[in-house]
Amino acid sequence: MRIRFLYTEAFRLSAIYAGIFALSVLALGSVVFVMTDRAFRDQVVLFSRADIAAMRNGFDAEGVKEAREVLQQIMGKPGESDFFLLQKDGKKIAGNLPPMPAQSGIVPLPGSGPGHDILGVGDFLEPGLYVYAGSDLQRVHAAEREILQALAWLFALAMLLAIGGGTLVSRSFLQRSDAMARACRAIMDGDLKARIPVRGAYDELDRLAGTINEMLDRIAALMENLRQVTNDIAHDLRTPVSHLRQRLERAREDSHEAEDYAEALSAAIEKTDEILQLFASLLRIAQIEGGARRADFSPIALGPLLTHVRDMFGAVAEASGHHLELKLQAEAAIRGDRALIIQLLTNLTENAILHTPEGTNISLLLSRTDERALITVSDDGPGVPREEHDKLFQRLYRREASRSRPGYGLGLSLVAAIAELHGADISLRDDSAPGLGVTLSFPVTLPTAQGTG
Amino acid sequence: MKILLIEDDRETAGHIVHGLESQGHSVEQVHDGIEGLAQARAGEHSALIVDRMLPGMDGLSLVKQLRTEGRQIPVLFLTTMSGLDDRVAGLEGGGDDYLVKPFAFSELLARVNAITRRHGEGEPTKLRVADLEMDLIRRTASRGGKGIDLQPQEFRLLEYLLRNAGRVVTRTMLLENVWDLHFDPRTNIVETHLSRLRSKIDRGFGAELIHTVRGAGYILRAD
Repeated sequence: MRIRFLYTEAFRLSAIYAGIFALSVLALGSVVFVMTDRAFRDQVVLFSRADIAAMRNGFDAEGVKEAREVLQQIMGKPGESDFFLLQKDGKKIAGNLPPMPAQSGIVPLPGSGPGHDILGVGDFLEPGLYVYAGSDLQRVHAAEREILQALAWLFALAMLLAIGGGTLVSRSFLQRSDAMARACRAIMDGDLKARIPVRGAYDELDRLAGTINEMLDRIAALMENLRQVTNDIAHDLRTPVSHLRQRLERAREDSHEAEDYAEALSAAIEKTDEILQLFASLLRIAQIEGGARRADFSPIALGPLLTHVRDMFGAVAEASGHHLELKLQAEAAIRGDRALIIQLLTNLTENAILHTPEGTNISLLLSRTDERALITVSDDGPGVPREEHDKLFQRLYRREASRSRPGYGLGLSLVAAIAELHGADISLRDDSAPGLGVTLSFPVTLPTAQGTG
Repeated sequence: MKILLIEDDRETAGHIVHGLESQGHSVEQVHDGIEGLAQARAGEHSALIVDRMLPGMDGLSLVKQLRTEGRQIPVLFLTTMSGLDDRVAGLEGGGDDYLVKPFAFSELLARVNAITRRHGEGEPTKLRVADLEMDLIRRTASRGGKGIDLQPQEFRLLEYLLRNAGRVVTRTMLLENVWDLHFDPRTNIVETHLSRLRSKIDRGFGAELIHTVRGAGYILRAD
């Protein structure tokens, strides 16, 4: 567990940075070292040449004796070359070096005596008369060792910073990713309300956490929806299925003629169809709430659509003694699923027809504001008490007054689901006028009235 | 009529075969998509009934393949009720009609009859049964030479009945094709409009043309 941070992305990154940093320190150090070394050596050669030039001056003025004099003078002075030799035809005349093979130019004398590494310059004052001046490189080596040491310290410090920093960064990253993992684990263990903590810094991790939380909210909503559907099915299929069973049982007891059986079977098939219809409605609501149909959206002109609905139900309303009227105060187009909008309007219109007494006026109204298209389905029937308004759109809610009629209380929850899918708000008229008025407010996506119905 | 049924649920398949055979059709049944495609390619059938979900190759791909090969055989798709949204995809994919399971057998029969006839025909501009006439271009209808004034939806309803003259059309077929409703409304839209239409084209003309077929639907025919 302790070295887990070694496997984190943050640590990997800081290790790479540390590596690059180390390489650049090494490269820089090498350049510094090589250049210092060369400068030291150039200086040694420069000193040597100056000393030889002084001896040559002496020789040119007064001969070998004077050259020797100059040599001994320089040898006594500190800060100049350390090692000298003046030899004639291989025989030493003066200096502190043993005779050596005469060679002009820059002549290194490695390993010349214990602890010495001499670099110097040799020259001929006249044929056969050889002079050499050089310095011990030990001092150069010492200085170079100092530089190397400093570089080593710098290197160590840089590595320490890189690794330390990387560890700190990866620790904090780890703590946050651990928090994410803990939240996920909590959700896996059944705490569906757990969410990933957001630090509020709006950095990458926060955004990631935010996105995951949104995803979890969406999943939770879908789960809740699913749970609701499952509960509804469990509770509400029991009733019609047990009714079906009762009928079949009674048919078995009471039927004597083939006709009785046929009638009982027809009734049973009808009841089964009702149950299947209920199933289909529940599934449809769940499907719409799942939002899968949004992909099918296309522009819909509401005027022609409402006219279609009026034409469909005008005769039906009239047959049951209602009056259905259409008022198009404006034209508006929305983006949506045409079949679903028709179903929504059908549900509201049928509710008005089925749940109000004869003589009730029902109206379909289309109006709009700048940004919303408003469809109002209203009637002047007995209405619904204010305190029941909130419950109306709940799944399977049935008003006491309508319990005796066929249906399972899914119509308005389907309306709510379709409205939500289209980003429409539902409001119920809340004034003293009689009857119920349902207004759907759709966002208008097309600025003008034109669109395809 | 020789029908090919591609359905993996053997109970449903048996139910359909039994029903169609009792109506005098001959049915060949296949239980997976690949075998189904091979049989359909043989080209010996007058109609194809295909389930959307099949082992081997799904129904939609199968029909798309047949259409790509230029085969015009009429196709009726079957689907489960959770597949309501598949309807559009099915029709776009080359299906002629779409039926959601579970269904009443009379519904299946009416639809098979409707799609097989539709294929034989071009698009007529005038429809006629007995002395009832419709001009689809001029949007007029008349019976016995006497003009009949029809509302737009009544016109569409009569047009659909005339196109399917002599065959049973179900309530659901009318809802889908005349009113574009793909669910079961709670009010009697079909009955109301039909009764209005009847009062316009049948009342006062002697022989009735629109008949109710109990437990199945409606039929327009001259007896």
